[in-house]
Amino acid sequence: MSDADLNAAANVGTAPVEKAPPSATATRIKTWLEYAGYAGFILVILVLPFFFDEFTLNRFAKYLVYGMLGVAIALSWGYAGILNLGQGLFFGAGAYMIAMSLKLESRTSLAQGSDTPVPDFMLWNAEPGAPTELCCINPASFLWLPFQATWFGVLMGIVLPVVIAGIVGLTIFKKRVSGVYISIITLALVLLVRLVVIDAQPVTNGFNGLTDLAYLTVFGFEFDPYLKETYYLVAILLSLVLVGARLLVSTRAGLILQAIRDDQNRVRYLGFDVPVYQTVFFAISAAIAGLAGMLYVIVAEFASPTFMDLAFSITMVVWAAVGGRASLLGACIGAILINTIEASVSETQSLVQAWQVFIGLLFVGVVLFLPRGLAGLSSDIVDFVLRLFNRRRPAEPRPAGEAMRPPVAAE
Amino acid sequence: MGTAALTIDGLGVSFSGLKAVSAFSMIVETGELRVLLGANGAGKTTLMDLISGKTKSTEGRVFLGDTEITNWEEHRIARAGVGRKFQIPSVFRDLTVRRNLEVASCRNPSVFANIGFGFSKAAKARMDEVLGVIGLEDLRNEPASNLSHGQTQWLELGMLMVQDPKVILLDEPTAGMTQSETLKTSQIILALKGRHTIVVVEHDMAFVREIAERITVMHLGKLLAEGPMAEIETNPKVREAYLGSRRLS
Repeated sequence: MSDADLNAAANVGTAPVEKAPPSATATRIKTWLEYAGYAGFILVILVLPFFFDEFTLNRFAKYLVYGMLGVAIALSWGYAGILNLGQGLFFGAGAYMIAMSLKLESRTSLAQGSDTPVPDFMLWNAEPGAPTELCCINPASFLWLPFQATWFGVLMGIVLPVVIAGIVGLTIFKKRVSGVYISIITLALVLLVRLVVIDAQPVTNGFNGLTDLAYLTVFGFEFDPYLKETYYLVAILLSLVLVGARLLVSTRAGLILQAIRDDQNRVRYLGFDVPVYQTVFFAISAAIAGLAGMLYVIVAEFASPTFMDLAFSITMVVWAAVGGRASLLGACIGAILINTIEASVSETQSLVQAWQVFIGLLFVGVVLFLPRGLAGLSSDIVDFVLRLFNRRRPAEPRPAGEAMRPPVAAE
Repeated sequence: MGTAALTIDGLGVSFSGLKAVSAFSMIVETGELRVLLGANGAGKTTLMDLISGKTKSTEGRVFLGDTEITNWEEHRIARAGVGRKFQIPSVFRDLTVRRNLEVASCRNPSVFANIGFGFSKAAKARMDEVLGVIGLEDLRNEPASNLSHGQTQWLELGMLMVQDPKVILLDEPTAGMTQSETLKTSQIILALKGRHTIVVVEHDMAFVREIAERITVMHLGKLLAEGPMAEIETNPKVREAYLGSRRLS
């Protein structure tokens, strides 16, 4: 610090106070509680297999996949301020990529009378007399060729969402599209892709989606969806995604991202290339959604254009809003919670319709009364308890400098 | 001293025929504190927009030191060494005071270089110093949205100090402040003097008297006069254009 700066500090009468500000302890306690929340959640999902059978675990695995989608939404909406109403696009992209590989590995595809595996629906849709080799059944069937290697499908399950998000992101963020317009564009995009997938019946099996898939085989191990190992695959990947995303937002880049959410222009005039930051995190969110899509296919054994239904993408946003969009863990738990409740409700026929109404009301209620969701609520409760605790203790002696602070600084 | 930090050469822009700034030239020397005066609509804020890249000029050039920065993208101009404070205070309202400064202290603009934790010892020390200068030490863990108007302005000034640009553009830093807040702001700005080259747009004459060395007066998008305070105050052209129009408004 230059002498001039020091003098100014003295002149204004705000001599440095030799003590950490009072709220520092509270902040530290809250941080530890947050870490404890993550650790507790991960512990719970990892011990579930000791208490439930394979059938129930398969259902839980699906909810964990939704939880992963919650993380993806919280990352883009809560941290980057990008409300993506088309997250289903990335989920669907991931799902279709791995499903294409698993479809080619299925027994029926191998039994179509060709040297190489061919998806059954392709032959049903083929022109009479068309060749029966995967390369040339129809003009677009060659697209399936590389998916004969499982690793290619798995890799594309991440790469395709990232590439789409990269192109879309750079285009709209460079144009400084923001707020509700991003939502409209992403919403239109997911509808468009859904239409294309349904329309391209000969290569995608249209409305019916990809069914009758093989199990994912890794180093000779088959991930049968009704095995504990498959549940663990999902649970461990979700834990990694949660921890990874949490670490990512606490890096300097994550901080700059949150600054962009608050005030893009200020960040720009601090010298950061705002669209690049937005695009990178948009793509990371897409990659997580793609991974979730792949895991869903492994657990549920199908990929369908319903993944790209508008209602599904919007439901994801409701999960994140209820759980707390500003918290990765909150959004994750919100997604799991809502789906668990939904599943138990839908076992009663009369409640199925009412559920849609309930979800709508829940969303309205959360927006009005709990804008930070369950995570915000629990944070408020912690604050409240800490304050109670502080009041019972005698106040710490204030350093001398504090009393001399001029009213300006205290305003 | 003696070397130009910011050179503006015949700069101008027209908005659908209206010349908001035209053929404006000015040289600000390194370490100088220059006050930009002018009535409403004289083109002061537009000039700042042109320098910082918010508005693209239609004529003329801008140099930062020896580098021509005319019509670069905003973040490149900022990275080259032009810091700007807006008239309406803009800080990151959901982040704490300290985190606001942390954003400004990221030295490397690249997203991948910033995938890492924490800040260097020097950066931390600098942030603590700046917190002292702007008098927000006790509020470092408060969200910026809890600050008063004056404190918000000081926080933004603090972010500029941490960013450490060669040239700082301040657009009405005392707008809406109480007298004591204005006084403190002028002390902060005087503390910046010497370390940075500063261009201030200001209406408040008491404040201008407090800080000004050289004054540039703009009128209708053009340079009207330039010189030390005493000279400007007695300049008949300035009296007519600036004080005259002020009396009318």
